[in-house]
Amino acid sequence: MSARADADGLAAGLAEATVSEALGEVTIDVQSAQIADACAAALAAGYDFLCDLAATDYLGFGGEGVAGYWASPSGAGERDINHPASSGLGVVVSPPGTKRFAISYQLLDRSARPARRLRLRTWVDDGESLPSVVGVFPCADYQEREAWDLMGIDFSDHPHLERIFLPEGWDGHPHRKDYPIGGEPVQFSDEV
Amino acid sequence: MEVIPPGRPHSALRATDIERVVMTTTVDKVLNWAASNSLWPFGFGLACCAMEMIAMVTPRYDIGRFGSEIVRATPRQSDLLIVSGRVSHRMTAPIRELYEQMLEPKWVMAMGACSSTGGMFANYAILQGVDKIVPVDVYVPGCPPRPEAVIEGVMTIQKKIKAGIPPAYEQQRSQA
Amino acid sequence: MSALSDRRTLRYPPAEVLSPIPSVLIPPDNPDTMLINLGPNHPSTHGVLRLVTTLDGEKVVGLHNELGYVHTGIEKNMEQKSYWKAITYAPRADYNAFFANELVYCMAVEKLLGLEVPRRGEWIRAIFTELQRIHNHLIFLGTGSVDLGGIALLFYCFRERDRVLDLVELAGGVRMHPRYAQVGGVAEDIPVAFDREARSFIKEMRARVDEYEDLIGQQPIFRDRTRGIGVITPEFARQMGLTGPNARASGVNWDLRAHEPYGAYRELQVQPIVFEVGDVYDRYLIRLHEIRQSVDIIEQALDGLPSGPWIADDRKVVLPPRHELHTSMESLIHHFKLVTEGYRVPAGEAYACVEGPRGELGCNLVADGSAKPWRVHFRSASLVMLQSVAALCKGVLLADLIAILASLDPNMGDCDR
Repeated sequence: MSARADADGLAAGLAEATVSEALGEVTIDVQSAQIADACAAALAAGYDFLCDLAATDYLGFGGEGVAGYWASPSGAGERDINHPASSGLGVVVSPPGTKRFAISYQLLDRSARPARRLRLRTWVDDGESLPSVVGVFPCADYQEREAWDLMGIDFSDHPHLERIFLPEGWDGHPHRKDYPIGGEPVQFSDEV
Repeated sequence: MEVIPPGRPHSALRATDIERVVMTTTVDKVLNWAASNSLWPFGFGLACCAMEMIAMVTPRYDIGRFGSEIVRATPRQSDLLIVSGRVSHRMTAPIRELYEQMLEPKWVMAMGACSSTGGMFANYAILQGVDKIVPVDVYVPGCPPRPEAVIEGVMTIQKKIKAGIPPAYEQQRSQA
Repeated sequence: MSALSDRRTLRYPPAEVLSPIPSVLIPPDNPDTMLINLGPNHPSTHGVLRLVTTLDGEKVVGLHNELGYVHTGIEKNMEQKSYWKAITYAPRADYNAFFANELVYCMAVEKLLGLEVPRRGEWIRAIFTELQRIHNHLIFLGTGSVDLGGIALLFYCFRERDRVLDLVELAGGVRMHPRYAQVGGVAEDIPVAFDREARSFIKEMRARVDEYEDLIGQQPIFRDRTRGIGVITPEFARQMGLTGPNARASGVNWDLRAHEPYGAYRELQVQPIVFEVGDVYDRYLIRLHEIRQSVDIIEQALDGLPSGPWIADDRKVVLPPRHELHTSMESLIHHFKLVTEGYRVPAGEAYACVEGPRGELGCNLVADGSAKPWRVHFRSASLVMLQSVAALCKGVLLADLIAILASLDPNMGDCDR
């Protein structure tokens, strides 16, 4: 069974899950409340290894974002080799989900040859919490703490959700797009 | 009177030209010569620069030739704090504590761009220069600096000591 | 291989996943225990790792890690720069395997662009990945033996490490962090002398690895300190996310180069080295054997190195060669646009991974169609493996804790990023 067929089967067993495939990768977008069940179902289907847990903030995606664009207008869209980067406007890009944060769980089935990978992706808003998958994949412990620390994503039943990289009294979640890059202004430098 | 030059050690006792057998200097110069030729680094590695610092201790570059043979694990027994790597905000308290635990006279080298000025990481996480928390004697640029460059930094401190320049903390105290 | 058929008594039971918190060994409520802080500055913690340990006499009864002492915000800095300029930040994460970090970021960008790397570029990348593996394992062996008290091996291993860095400098220009991997291939072709220098290095390295194996493999103190402790079972490795040599030493037959080949590994022959017992001794020896294997792979790659371009030909993404800037107007314009503004990458999310020296090193890249990456996330093998320390050190002696931590080979730059 290919990864796509597995994904279709898994998505059928979950409420409101959509499957997409791009660049050779299969992604299932699941509802945030179901992520632990989705991981357990994937584990049962043979995807027994959690490689990566990555959180992304889509605030300002495709537009004049707060992280700071320079030089090129927004809305680049598709890559068109006949048009160098600066001229013309392309297709407007919208984020693939409706909520602000996406958390991608990269799963791997090593026993299959060739090995199959699957991405489970879930979406939450600021302040919304989602279940932790530590019960299914214990290696998500530190990775969920990292997502909490740097992105502010709350995992409701994580056994030990505390800051992992930043000092305890730190205010804010630095990898968010509305958190400034920081540092100090350098005299006589064009960048402020 | 016949002048007998001190050609060999046993004949030095019979030499009559006193300037040939006795060297006069000051106590400070002797102490400085001894201090500069026995700077013991503190084994303090933070990030990538630490790898080049360890390479400096190894046979190809060999800081031991310059007297820094012993890398001590405790700050109490070291003279030279080489801050090798980027300093995050969480690390500032340990660095300051270790610096305080070193006994005077002590010298600090900011090795690499990150500890000198924050390097390429002008962001929320990295202290923009370790000289904000400890007084620094010499800055070695590079990302990471070659072991030869770090040795040159140590040699600069040696020259500084031999010239009688007080360590950075004394200069800061006298300015304050 | 003697390590495989070696029977040994386990001094502690194999590690099991802790509960309720997998990464914390909760100490018992006993007033006779002592709280010891190992780190963040300690000669044996491989960088700035703080282990908050509770000891009952000499036995570890409580442990948790404090990380973040070298948190650099690399991922956020990469979002501020164009794709080409952001390559500079990547190697500073895992500084013992710097080329692997650059490579995995470039691979993720290439995946999103749909850019194909020419064969020579892939083979050169494979040579450098294996050189990185040797570099990392040499540092591991050197610092690992210092942790156990045998300082001599440090000087031998770093002597070889300098030879590896000579090769990196020959092609890349600087010893560490050469930014040699570029999107589309490698920055420059390897110089003419590289083949000769690399072969002389290979010959020397083979002799040295035999020396090292004699030096530590048969040394009675080393054997006593490392055999039968810190045993990882395949199930524990799966649950706690261990990959790379840590997992292969426990019998998990998984190597991205062989089972999910990328780049030149689709053509090179890599036979994963798998040991059985999974204790500290196995993890030391497997890395020694991996050095040998890497040397063989480099020789294979040098023998079969294809000719041709070393970087893709797409001038909208790849900088033109410098000599063309004097004669071609289009090249000059391309160069200008690429350096000032950068190329745009179509929106999407891609995950690229390589077999790093520590395990699976991955890069999850989200692009938004502009000239800067939207989000770069590195899958760090070190962060994941440090979760296992508490479970592995349950009830061990303090000296064994040092050996177990050393055998895992974490890198704090990779962990904290």
